[in-house]
Amino acid sequence: MTETVIVVALLLVAVAATAAVAVRDPVRQSLVLAVLGVVLAVLFTVLQAPDVGLSQLAVGSALTPLLLLLTVRKAKRRGRRAERGRSAGGDGP
Amino acid sequence: MNGWILAAVLVLVTGVGATLWGVAGGPLRRRATAQNLCTALACPVLLLLAQGYGRPAYVDLALVLAVLGPVGTLVFARLLADELADDPPHARGPTWTAAALGAAVVGAVAVATGPGRALVKLLVIGVLLVGGNLIASRALAGGMQEGRGD
Repeated sequence: MTETVIVVALLLVAVAATAAVAVRDPVRQSLVLAVLGVVLAVLFTVLQAPDVGLSQLAVGSALTPLLLLLTVRKAKRRGRRAERGRSAGGDGP
Repeated sequence: MNGWILAAVLVLVTGVGATLWGVAGGPLRRRATAQNLCTALACPVLLLLAQGYGRPAYVDLALVLAVLGPVGTLVFARLLADELADDPPHARGPTWTAAALGAAVVGAVAVATGPGRALVKLLVIGVLLVGGNLIASRALAGGMQEGRGD
């Protein structure tokens, strides 16, 4: 019975990790990463390591997606500003 | 004892497996909904595992997930607001199903625990889980756009 739970959790982690690699868009990838963090926490609990699972939950479910999304947003804004600056410099004095 | 773990495996395979399938493909609204449902379904799994292993300390994991899961979904709802505004995700059926499942699991574990401090903790987890899940899915559906200045 215990082995069944471990196998199921391992399979879920494998599928989630494969999906996280296969998705190319960083915004969608952050959603998959959030799910991967939760599934990993379940795997750690099943392996009787709840302390590792606690930190994995804290980092994986909220912090990693937040950092990723903030980075994407900043990169997008900077790219837009650079484009605007280039076009303004082209026809300006 | 085995019954609890069996129930956990069932919820893990059907619920979390389905959300994994939902988050792996499709439009952004489907992925955001699946991420929200994943945290709402993993919390009952952790509760069932804690009861199945006979270790009340494992309930802390479910408590942390019940607090942080809706926070993560609110992060997505806030930072993806522009993308989600075009076609907001409305998943009333799955959301209420997940909330009912969480309430049922909390009720079953509470009956097995009996009165005491552990029962109070379980009820707090249940309220956080169901309330946070409903608030997060409402935020995803754009129900809190009126209050925003921009």
